[in-house]
Amino acid sequence: MTPPETLTLVYAFAVCRGGGLTAPAEPLAELPGFGTGAPVRTLAAGPLTAVVQDVPAAGYDEEALRRRLSDGAELERCARAHHAVITAASALAPTVPLPLATVYLDDGRVQEALGERETSFLTALDRIAGRVEWGVKVYAPTGPPPAPEAAPAEGPGPGGSGRAYLDRVRTRQRGREQRHTLALRAAERVDAVVRGLAVAARRLRPHGVEVTGKHRIHVLNAAYLLDLGRERELRAALASLRRDETDVQIELSGPWAPYSFADGGIANAGIANGGATP
Amino acid sequence: MSAPIPSGPSRVDIDRDSVGRDLVALVLTVVELLRQLMERQAIRRIDAGGLTEDQIERIGTTLMLLDQRMTELCDQHGLTPEDLNLDLGPLGTLLPRD
Repeated sequence: MTPPETLTLVYAFAVCRGGGLTAPAEPLAELPGFGTGAPVRTLAAGPLTAVVQDVPAAGYDEEALRRRLSDGAELERCARAHHAVITAASALAPTVPLPLATVYLDDGRVQEALGERETSFLTALDRIAGRVEWGVKVYAPTGPPPAPEAAPAEGPGPGGSGRAYLDRVRTRQRGREQRHTLALRAAERVDAVVRGLAVAARRLRPHGVEVTGKHRIHVLNAAYLLDLGRERELRAALASLRRDETDVQIELSGPWAPYSFADGGIANAGIANGGATP
Repeated sequence: MSAPIPSGPSRVDIDRDSVGRDLVALVLTVVELLRQLMERQAIRRIDAGGLTEDQIERIGTTLMLLDQRMTELCDQHGLTPEDLNLDLGPLGTLLPRD
């Protein structure tokens, strides 16, 4: 596979139930993974199977990974490679994704780590079997540009300009607070509806300006675990929410491998690289 | 502060000009925060009643001049109102975004 003189590490993508992947593992072997030349393969560990790939130590030890993941373009490439393998695996069997950059010294260490967390992996696998993750994001558009403030250049008769200024400030503040409250309430209603369809839900941290752009504020970032057959219901519910909640923008993404519901994670397990999760 | 420096998050670009500009932006951010707090406080006091028309007018004029001065300072240093803000992660931004 790899020349024996090259020092390699083992990058672990995901964990499935043993046997889940063994028969039709060919689609995995065809994936480039990180493009290291080594095939993406499965590795049995008791009742579990890990999806792994050999990677050269030079590019994937702790130091190299840290450098890699702090470079936006490289981070994206890694995340996409990671995600592609996880997606392929979840198409074959229930799959617990591992955090990005989970690297072990060798196969033995992978098996050891999986063994230590066997119960929690099995629980997580039970939880996600036959289910997928959907992401729902709610955005509030930021206020209208300062134009419609109706601020006449000269102050109105009684007040004078100081008072008029304060009135403008007050109007702007009230408007902002009101919009914000409305958006948060709308987000709660969206969450409540989707939660009703889901078997589990998680609220994630909303994104800041650098992701959302200046023209909108992220008010809800949530992940929901839904049974496989409920996509149509979910889409219908969101369509009706979009009709009702005109103050906010609602975005749906998915179906995803259950990234947010796989707490069998073995980040920081103290092996070569725990998990430099971004 | 949020000038688009397309490098990794952990990299610090020690460029004399950009450091100076970032420092100005940081100072002005703090000043702007205080200015907005004063505005809020003033409005609260007015709404609570107890200030004379004359007092309100004086406070309003002072705050308005401060606002104008801030705009001038920003222009001088080539900063926009969006530059005067900090992303506090899970807490949102330091100053409200409209």
